[in-house]
This record gives sequence, structure tokens and C-alpha cells, in this order.
Amino acid sequence: MAVATFEHDAELMLRVRGGDAQSFALLLAKHRGPVIHFLYRMIQNQAVAEELAQEVFLRVYRSRARYEPTAKFTTWLFRIASHVALNHIRDGKYERNQESLDQETDEGMGRQVASSAPNVEQRMLREARLAEVRRTIELLPAKQRAAVLMHKYQEMEYAQIAVALECSESAVKSLLFRAYETLRAKLAHMAG
Amino acid sequence: MKNTKDNACPLQKGDTELLLRYCAGSLAAGRVAEVERHVGVCPECRSWVEQQQTVWQALEAWEVEPVSADFDAALFARIAREEKRSGWQRWREAWRRLLPGGLDWRVAAPAGAVALLLVLGLAVENPFRREQAKAMVKLEAREIEQAERALEDLEMLRQLEPPEEETRL
Repeated sequence: MAVATFEHDAELMLRVRGGDAQSFALLLAKHRGPVIHFLYRMIQNQAVAEELAQEVFLRVYRSRARYEPTAKFTTWLFRIASHVALNHIRDGKYERNQESLDQETDEGMGRQVASSAPNVEQRMLREARLAEVRRTIELLPAKQRAAVLMHKYQEMEYAQIAVALECSESAVKSLLFRAYETLRAKLAHMAG
Repeated sequence: MKNTKDNACPLQKGDTELLLRYCAGSLAAGRVAEVERHVGVCPECRSWVEQQQTVWQALEAWEVEPVSADFDAALFARIAREEKRSGWQRWREAWRRLLPGGLDWRVAAPAGAVALLLVLGLAVENPFRREQAKAMVKLEAREIEQAERALEDLEMLRQLEPPEEETRL
């Protein structure tokens, strides 16, 4: 099944290379969501994540003439997405654009208190936990964060993450080991 | 995991990757059973697995916002704009991407022009220095001429003087 998807995506991209705009639309429809969600979790700002995703797909389109199906399409796509996200963070635009977690949480809680739903307490707890998860992910160094997000949400293999982050497989293992160590230390109290 | 059967603890061996794969559900069925047997008897590994599963569940609870309805339209509009752009604009964009972040063309262009002039200045011969050299050559020629004239005058004087014997008589 995975092989079929690999071949299908690569085939679509080869058609894009041949000038088929419809194939590009199909690739966009399939991968738009995962790319935007990855960028959103990296940057934690929906508007900026969508702006960066536009840049990612624009780069895919621009490099269609040079595309060679040497790796899985998603690996190549996430390599571009990681590059765009890490550059954005490196250039210092990240802090300016980040949505205020405290503000959002307070607003969210305000809404919960105002509503007369019976599970207000549970929803407040859920909001608080989510804010804590976001804050903890945000505290991870950018490369560790990217590795965790690709591992957890995109279910990418170490070898694929290594290609996406332009590092060795052992470097990926080290990034994930340190990242999950931090996350376990900070989020273990959420058990139960 | 061949060593779990021998009661070798993945944590003691530093093989957290195995436990991580187990928590992520990416282990083969046969190995899952082996890890489960070990976790059942090893409190350290059990605690590690429980903590990792907590992290996993916490991350799963992180939902994302829906994508804007006009995302595709905005992207295709950008692509259309890009296709319309002239070659010069594309070249300028490419250079802008290569330049360090924040460097303005209004600064880069004059700086480049000054650097170019300096290079040209060094490459081309200085006209003032050339004139100076010409003057020096002229001066040297004039000096030689004067010296030659002085020698000719001396020769003439020597010819006008009476021979040595005549003077003696």
C-alpha cells in the first residue's frame, strides 16, 4: 500500500514536471493538510503556517523541472517544509508571529466559564493540558521539535526524518531521544 | 529483541529505541509480545513505557485548526503571478534569496558600485602618474642635450687656442 502511494505521488509529480497542472492540484489536495499542520505545530500560528505552506508548495512547483523520484515524495516535501520552518525560526520571525498561548488559554477558559455546559471543569482541564503540551513542544530546540512532529504525526521512519532534516539517522535517534526525554519529564504528571 | 528472552533490560542496554517503537506501535507483532513480557516483569521499563504513553496521548490530544478555504486559490494566484513575471524580476528574486537576510538592494547596489570602481581604479593606469613619467623623460633628455652642447663648446675653445709650441716661442 505504502509502495503504491510512493509510486502514485512520484508519478503525479513527474506529470507535473511534464506540465500537467491537474496532477499538481491532486498532490496539493492530498498533502496540503499534513504540511500546514506540521508547520502550525512548529510555529504555533495558523496564519503564518499557511503562509509558509504556500511557500513550500510554490517551491515544489518551481522545482518541478528538476524533480527526480529518488526518494519518497513525502520525504522530499517535508524536507522543503522543514527547511522553510527552520529558516523562519532562525530568522527570528518566530517569536514575533507566535500566538500568545496565555491569551488564547485565558480566552478559551473565559468561553468555557461563560457556557453552561455540564462538563465545564473537564473542558477547562483539557484546555489547560493542551496549553501545557503546546508550551512544552515550543520549548524544544527547533530541530528536536521538527523530528518529534514528523515522528509522531507523520509517522515517518528515522531514515525519512534524516533526509528531511539533512542529517544522519543516528543524529535523528539522538534528537528524538533528547526530545522525548524532555517531554516525559515535563508531561509525565498528566497520566491518569 | 533477542535479548529480552534472556532477561536483558532494554533500558540497561540503552536501547530506548525499542521501547519507543513499542509505544509508537511500529514494532512487529512477534517483538511486541517479547517487549510486553519484559515490561511485565521490569518496573523500570514499565515506568518508562507508561511515561512515554502519557506523552503520546498528550500529543494526540493536540488538535489542529482547519485549513482556510481560500488556501488553494491563493496559491494558484501566486503561481500565476510568478509565471507572468519577467526574467529580470526572477533573476532579482533569486539574488535577493541569496543575499543575507535583511540586506536591502538600496544599500547593496551602491556598495557594489563603489567596490567595482575601486577594482577598476586599480586595474587602469593612473593618467597623472603617466604625465609625470613623460616629464621626467623630457627633463633627462634636456640634460643630456645640455651636456653634449657643453662638450662641443669645450672642443671649440680647444681648437681656438694656439698650439703648445707656438706659445713656447
